[in-house]
Amino acid sequence: MQVLTLLLIALLHHSFGAEYDVNQPITLTGTLTAVEWTNPHTHFYLDVKDDKGKVVNWKFEGYNPSVLVRNGWKKDVTMKVGDLITVFGWRARDGGSWAHSREITLPDGKKMFFGPPAGTGDGGNTPVVEVK
Amino acid sequence: MRPFAMTTAAMLLATTIVSAQSKNVMPRAADGHPDLTGVWQGGSATPGNWDDANGGTGVGGTGRNPTAAVVLSSNDRPAGREGAPYQDWAAKKVLESFNRRGIDDPTAQCLPGGIPRSVTLGLFPQQFVQTPTQLVILYEYMNVFRVIPFTAKHRDDIIPSYMGDSIAHWEGDALVVDVIGFNDKTWLAGTGTFHSDQLHITERYTRVSKDRIDYQVTMEDPKVLTKPWKLASSLMLREGTRLQEYICAENNLDPARYDELLKNGVKFTR
Repeated sequence: MQVLTLLLIALLHHSFGAEYDVNQPITLTGTLTAVEWTNPHTHFYLDVKDDKGKVVNWKFEGYNPSVLVRNGWKKDVTMKVGDLITVFGWRARDGGSWAHSREITLPDGKKMFFGPPAGTGDGGNTPVVEVK
Repeated sequence: MRPFAMTTAAMLLATTIVSAQSKNVMPRAADGHPDLTGVWQGGSATPGNWDDANGGTGVGGTGRNPTAAVVLSSNDRPAGREGAPYQDWAAKKVLESFNRRGIDDPTAQCLPGGIPRSVTLGLFPQQFVQTPTQLVILYEYMNVFRVIPFTAKHRDDIIPSYMGDSIAHWEGDALVVDVIGFNDKTWLAGTGTFHSDQLHITERYTRVSKDRIDYQVTMEDPKVLTKPWKLASSLMLREGTRLQEYICAENNLDPARYDELLKNGVKFTR
């Protein structure tokens, strides 16, 4: 279990394809519980109710803080703990409660980008070399 | 009246077309060479300002949504026709890094991105400032810079560095940049793409329109490659975009997490 947890939190500084699945787009609505304004990537967490009413805390990865600023985000202002947030993104390959975020819908209906589009390069999916 | 009206309409249309074309004409400096000055986004082929070119919720580049932005991350290499030509022993080392999901990435330690990685990544802008005697490039990613004199000879007191020693000359409308003097601490283009201190890079920057610079890069390294490795990409003008601070070391979670993973021997498999 400890190993699994480490895997879930650690795989950060990589191409989209390494961790997330373009075939699993996901839209979730929940209550914001935390925002991590960290390098190299940011994160936020939502309490989301599943089909049975059970609350699950989801983790979402986003842009570097510098890119968020360029996109108009203000730390602790644009999105605050307790806000009801809807996020569109792509789920992690391992099926856990974490995903790559793209578009956020804020409580006032305004839409903003919190993470980059699904990866287009091959850095995460395919090694650049062929080993014989 | 009718033929006159049609002629007038045709003239107006022609004027509009010429006007539209002239708006995308490649600008030249007073010395007649192309002027590369501007704020650019690498790893993209989408015209427009930053917001226009980086919007959309589709899956860029896969054909699922052709309107979605295509942006390369710092670990992506531009599309290439061939695999990276690493020597066998070196290819194994690259693959090993890939299989560990790049946790030995130098940029995770906030080290400079090197070349061509700093040029081809799309998440951060880079600013070109051209004078008659040199080109200065400011990279927001890791806040590094290159000062590239237009001269024929490298200085003879080069100290190996992350971004190397660059000189440039014009070949027609292409600015050809020759880079040597690297240390061996950066990645080239993609996870694990290490190199030696013998790395020699030749870049060609060709501004083909107001909007776009075609970028071609050739990497040579006799210690780790079997032959020159060539990649092509483009940089797109982002009018209105300003460079910002990028302070990687503040709240950087990667080193501690990677150290913990290495210590605990977690295996990375896909």
